[in-house]
Amino acid sequence: MTTSTHMVQLRDVGMQFEEKKVLDGLSIKVEPEERLVIMGQSGSGKSTILRLILGTLRPNSGSIFFKQFEMTRLPRRKLQQVRRHIGMVYQYSALLSSRNVRDNVALPLEELTDKSRSEIDKIVDEKLDLVGMKDSKELLPEELSGGMKKRVALARALVLEPELILLDEPSAGLDPVIASVIDELIISLSDNSKVTSITVTHEMESAFRIGTRMAMLYQGKIIEEAEREEFKQSKNPVVAQFLSGSTEGPILEGSLDAITKK
Amino acid sequence: MANANPPVLVAQGIGHLSRNFFREVGSVFWFIANTFEESLERIQQGRVPFRAASFFRHTQRAGVDSVPLVGLVSFFLGLTMALLTGYQLQRFGTERLIPGLVAIGFTRELGPLLTGIMLAARIGAAFTAELGTMQVSEEVESIEAMGIGPLRFLVAPRMLALFLLMPCLSTVSNIAAVFASSLICKAYFSIAFPYFLDLVKDSLLIRDIVTGILKSFLFGLLISAIACYRGLTVKGGAAGVGTSTTSSVVTAITTVIGFDTLYNVVYTTFYPT
Repeated sequence: MTTSTHMVQLRDVGMQFEEKKVLDGLSIKVEPEERLVIMGQSGSGKSTILRLILGTLRPNSGSIFFKQFEMTRLPRRKLQQVRRHIGMVYQYSALLSSRNVRDNVALPLEELTDKSRSEIDKIVDEKLDLVGMKDSKELLPEELSGGMKKRVALARALVLEPELILLDEPSAGLDPVIASVIDELIISLSDNSKVTSITVTHEMESAFRIGTRMAMLYQGKIIEEAEREEFKQSKNPVVAQFLSGSTEGPILEGSLDAITKK
Repeated sequence: MANANPPVLVAQGIGHLSRNFFREVGSVFWFIANTFEESLERIQQGRVPFRAASFFRHTQRAGVDSVPLVGLVSFFLGLTMALLTGYQLQRFGTERLIPGLVAIGFTRELGPLLTGIMLAARIGAAFTAELGTMQVSEEVESIEAMGIGPLRFLVAPRMLALFLLMPCLSTVSNIAAVFASSLICKAYFSIAFPYFLDLVKDSLLIRDIVTGILKSFLFGLLISAIACYRGLTVKGGAAGVGTSTTSSVVTAITTVIGFDTLYNVVYTTFYPT
C-alpha cells in the first residue's frame, strides 16, 4: 500500500491476452474530482484499463492503485469492499435481464447496505429521476432502448454514491440529444458531488465535452496526456491524425505494418 | 520428426486428456470450496448469503416443477421392471421377490441415479444456459464490479436448491416406481396390495434408504456445481453458451454415473451384503 493522494494510479501496467499484447508499460495518474477521458482506436485496450482499475482483470505486470489500495494485491473480501466506492457503466449497459429497472438499480443497495425497503425506494427514485427514467421503473431491460439502458446503468452505478465512476463508451450509439444529456450528467456529478470520472471513448464531441484532461492510448501506452485545450492543439502526429480522422498518418501505417507482418 | 511417431502421439494425446481431466476436477472442487467460502464470509458479516426468494424460485423450478417428469419416468420404469423380472421369477415360482427387488433396486440405486440423470438434463442445462448468457452479456462481471460476490449471489442458491431437492425427488421416484410395481403385482402375479407392502417392508433395510439419500445429496451437489461452473466459464458468445450447455449435461451425467459406481464400490467394501 502507499499513501498516494491520487484517486487512481496505474504504474507500468502490462496486459496480454494470449498472444496479443494489449497494454505495454502503461502509466497514468488521475487526480481527485477530475474528469479524465481516455481516447484510442477500437480494440486498443481502453475498456481493459477500466476493468483493471476495478480489479475484474489482473495485469501481467505493473501495479494499479485506487486511492491507497493496490487493487492487484487486495484479497477478495477487501477488493469487494473497495469496489463499492467505484461505479462502472458498461458499454452495453450489462443490466440484469431478469430484473426490472427498479430492481436493477436497487440491487447494490439491497445486497450491500442495511437500508430499509422504503429508504431503498427513495434512493432508487432519486437516481432514476436524475437520469430521467423514473417512469420506466417496472420495465424489463429488453423493453428499453439502448439510450434508456445506458441511463439506467448510470443510475445503478451512482446508487452507492461512488467516489470514482468509470464509463465505457457512455454515448456510443445514442442520439445526439441523449448523448448530450448523459455528458451533462457526468459533468454535473463531478461539479456537484465531487465524483472523479474516467471515460473511455472515441466519440470526439462527447470526449471534449466531458473531459477536463485527455489521454491518448496508442500501441499499449499513453502517448499524450494534456488538458483539454492543450490536447486539441497537440503536435503528436498520432493524436493529430486521430482528432482529424484523416487516413494519412502513423495510425493507419501501423495497422498496415501489422497486417503485412501477419 | 520424433513427434510424428504414432505411439508418441498417442501418449501425448492421453497426457493431454489426463491433464485436462484433472484440471477440470480441480477447478470444480475449488469452485465448490470458493462458493462455500464466499457464503460463509457473508454469514460471518451477519447477513444472509442470498435472498430467500431467490432460493425458493430455484427450488420451485428445480424441485416442484420436476416432480411430474421424475414421477412419470420412474412410474413407467417401475412397471417395466416389475413386469419383466416378474415373468422370469414366475418360472421359478418366486414372483413374491418382485416387491423387494423393485424397492431395493430403486431406493439404493435407480431412484437417485435416474433422478440425477433427469435433473442433469433438465435443470443442469438450464443453470448453464442461464449463467452462460449472463456471463457473455457481462451481467456476471457487472455484479462482481458492484462488489457483490457472484458465487454466493448466483451459484449458492442454485447449489443449495438442488442439494436439498435431490433427496426429495429421489423419494418421489422411489414411491412412483414401487407404486407402479404394486399395480403389476396385483394385475399379473396376484399379489394383493397389503401383502405387497409386507414384502417391501420385509426386504427393505434402513441402510438402503440412507444410502440412497446420501447418494442423492452428493448428486445434487455435483450436478449443480458442474452446471454453474460451466455456465460461469462460458467463452465465445451464443455459440459458447450452446457448447457449454451440451458439455455441462454430458459431464454431469457421466460424473453422476461415475460417482455412483465409486460409491457402490466403497459401500460394498464396507457392507458386503
